[in-house]
Amino acid sequence: MSAMLPIGLTRMSMPLVVWALHFVVVYSLQGLACARALWRAPVAGLETMTWVLWALTLLALGVIALFGASALRAWRIARAQTDGRTETSRLRFLTALSALVALIAAIGVAFTALPVALLPTCA
Amino acid sequence: MSTLTPDHTIPTPGDHLRHAERIALLERVWANGRGLVGQLTAVNHTTIALRFIVTGLVFLLIGGMLSMFIRLQLSWPGLNVLDPERYAQFVTMHGTTMMFLFAVPIMEGFAMYLIPKMLGTRDLPFPRLSAFGWWCYLFGGIFLYSSFIFGSVPDGGWFMYTPLTDSTYSPGKGADFWLIGVTFAEIAAVTAAVELIVAILVTRAPGMDLTRMPLFAWAVLVTAFMIAFGFPPLILASLLLEIQRAFDFAFFEVARGGDPLLWQHLFWLFGHPEVYIIFLPAAGVVSTIVPTFARRPIVGYTWVVLALVATGFLSFGLWVHHMFAVGIPLLALAFFSAASMAVAIPTGIQIFAWIATLWAGKPWLRVPMLYIIGFFITFVCGGLTGVMLAFVPFDWQAHDTHFVVAHLHYVLIGGMMFPMFAGLYYWLPLASGRMPSESLSRSGFWLVFIGFHLAFLPMHITGLVGMPRRVDSYAMELGVQWLNLLSTAAGFVLAVGIVAILIDVALCFRLGRRGTENPWQAGTLEWALPHPAPKYNFASIPVVDDRNPLWHDPGVVEATRRTDGLLGEAVDGRRWIIGTGIQSAQPEQAIRLSNSTWLPLFAALTIAVLLGGFITSQYWLSILMLLPLIGLFLRWLWTVNGRETPLEIEVAPGLRLPTQALARNAPGWWALVGTLMIVGSLFASLVFAYFYLWLNAPAWPGGGATLTASTPMLAALGALLAAGVGAWRMPIALRAGHTRAAVIWSAFAILSAIACLALQLPAIADAVGAPQRHAYGSVVWTLAGFQALHIAVAVLIAGFVALRIHHGHVDAVRSLEARIATGFWRYVVAQGLIVWALLHLFPRFA
Repeated sequence: MSAMLPIGLTRMSMPLVVWALHFVVVYSLQGLACARALWRAPVAGLETMTWVLWALTLLALGVIALFGASALRAWRIARAQTDGRTETSRLRFLTALSALVALIAAIGVAFTALPVALLPTCA
Repeated sequence: MSTLTPDHTIPTPGDHLRHAERIALLERVWANGRGLVGQLTAVNHTTIALRFIVTGLVFLLIGGMLSMFIRLQLSWPGLNVLDPERYAQFVTMHGTTMMFLFAVPIMEGFAMYLIPKMLGTRDLPFPRLSAFGWWCYLFGGIFLYSSFIFGSVPDGGWFMYTPLTDSTYSPGKGADFWLIGVTFAEIAAVTAAVELIVAILVTRAPGMDLTRMPLFAWAVLVTAFMIAFGFPPLILASLLLEIQRAFDFAFFEVARGGDPLLWQHLFWLFGHPEVYIIFLPAAGVVSTIVPTFARRPIVGYTWVVLALVATGFLSFGLWVHHMFAVGIPLLALAFFSAASMAVAIPTGIQIFAWIATLWAGKPWLRVPMLYIIGFFITFVCGGLTGVMLAFVPFDWQAHDTHFVVAHLHYVLIGGMMFPMFAGLYYWLPLASGRMPSESLSRSGFWLVFIGFHLAFLPMHITGLVGMPRRVDSYAMELGVQWLNLLSTAAGFVLAVGIVAILIDVALCFRLGRRGTENPWQAGTLEWALPHPAPKYNFASIPVVDDRNPLWHDPGVVEATRRTDGLLGEAVDGRRWIIGTGIQSAQPEQAIRLSNSTWLPLFAALTIAVLLGGFITSQYWLSILMLLPLIGLFLRWLWTVNGRETPLEIEVAPGLRLPTQALARNAPGWWALVGTLMIVGSLFASLVFAYFYLWLNAPAWPGGGATLTASTPMLAALGALLAAGVGAWRMPIALRAGHTRAAVIWSAFAILSAIACLALQLPAIADAVGAPQRHAYGSVVWTLAGFQALHIAVAVLIAGFVALRIHHGHVDAVRSLEARIATGFWRYVVAQGLIVWALLHLFPRFA
């Protein structure tokens, strides 16, 4: 029995927590850039802040991908089991849910960060 | 009947009682008291939840009546039904009533009524807390409306924007009535959040694991978490504004380094999730009703849960879309614009799941389903205008026009009121035992549906043409007078429809024809109950093995009505429920609940007097009221889990469960977790306010103050850590059986914490001076005061637990209270470290 993979309600919502952190950090840094001229110097044609925001977005997507991959792996294991036990069906549900949550969180992060590609930090 | 409880410690539910006697005992144990006293002391969830629903409906009528005046005033340009001052008051009270006194409480009422019945248990885990919440809601509502008697009705809009609502532009008591009354009523929201989180996590019927939980329970669980994180920003904003109004602090005043936009951020940080706090339980109602009338299980259960969880998170990223026009940098606007559109994804998932369920089933059009169709049409339209408004350029055009009024009514009435009426008709047979009149309820629906659309559809046009909202008239030249006249006329049709529905529902309780049980052939557990539902709900706690137990195994109805199952016998004449594992739903503990008591009413009354003293500036009265208030709450806590509670009881022949004082997942522990989420969110909002003011202030620290680390400050930090050590050692000593040492460690924690305050507060006073000088001083003092308040509560808790240990109620085995106390201390120390760093280190780098 797959040694009860560590998937619970907290673990399930972690990708969305990453989304929330990313949102707060990106929004705060943008505010600092405009109010306190933080990291406004251009680097390779773009403001440093733009690069920082991109880097943070990639970081967030990477962390979400890790959560998603582990949930997907656990889901495959749970799906392969056909012992018909309640724990197995629960595990299948929670792992599937966790993978989907990671997907939604990834869409959320990418979608929220999209404007960074289109606008300067302070317009 | 002394033979009923042969042994208080280990009762033996054998066959020495016959079924009828056991039922009679259950009836007696779970009944409210007789007469008026019984009503005032009742704590049972069915009673309290129905009160929430009825009170909510009364406020719906009051709020609706105000809107009729508003509509009359707007029916033609230049009318004088309400003078501008009255108009502002009525608009304010209409919005406030509908949001805070109708929509949120009535959804709480539905949740409190249905959750135990759907989860297969007898009551919520903290019945006194529910009752306390209802009294606070009622008194808060009365408090708010008493402003009409005192002639100072709030008129700053339900959003209460500063600086319009500060003491310069809103002298008098109107804004104070709003801030205090609404915050008072919100106590009900946060207590319900704690209550429902714990109920859903630990009191589900055995076998109802996470995959079998009804979608309504998922929706309420997500909503309760959202309340825990979403309401604190508003509560904090209200506190800050009230402190500014009463004591002349400077959070929102530009001249002294404050910022009025701070209010908008905090308000909408609450205000946007609030829309989903209202919508998600309604979506849960839809997810319950649609499968019943499609006569098949919901399509995409996992996807709907995903949508609920995702909505719960994403909706916190939208608050600035209420502030697109206040002058925020474009990139920031674009973040919120994107997030506002992204939230349409999970909402869309749910809508498609419902449509797929209807498509795959054999839909059956009865009155609840009619309202669901009304919901679909209306809510989808509102959602589409919502996506339109998420576009910044479009929002700039439509901002503060009646287009927004149309949008928000489509979303709120479509997304919440139609499902609410659907739920009202759906569960009416369960609550009343009678069927509503089909013809009258259909007429009510069509009046509401047609009235609503004719009233609000034209507002899209009047708004786009340029008719401003929040203003008591408009120019004839706009050419919108006929559309407004139509809106007004249709508004009255809507009002007639709502009154018709409420009369229909009220009549049903007296005159409805006796219904058959489970009239809609639903599959969820609440329909296993006799109609009307008895106060104890289930004679035996059911065991569940499917999402739709009644469809899967009709025998469950019979099993729950026999008295030979789980908790079939009312052990030792007290109210017991079963606690189960969070994921697995395996039986883990027996939870003893409170009987009827005066404590909730007295506590709420004391708070009412305290707030009354505050609003009349009789501060001595408010301070005096703290004593009875603390006394009542200590009494409240003292009567839980004493040494007279058995360590374990036999809940069914052969199944013995430990009682909650011994259990790892004790409700009290999860209540602490829930409370700390609320408190932590309140604290995070305050830290946000600190940084926001810092970011926007021209000078920081302002007012010539500097507060950095110094010797007394370092000593204060040491004292705080010492208190943490005391709190950490206390349960260790207790578990080792050293009760004296545990009491001494508690005393050590108390003394260290007091030393910390004694060192820190004078040093802050020296460095910062009066909080009225500058926003910096205001927020520093508020942070320090916030922390001091938590230390005071921690000290009270430590003293209380030490006393309980001394009296033998808490010991090495019954250690729950010590665990809870330490948990709270840990939080207070962590919060203290953050406050300390913020106050004494941050100014060095700012």
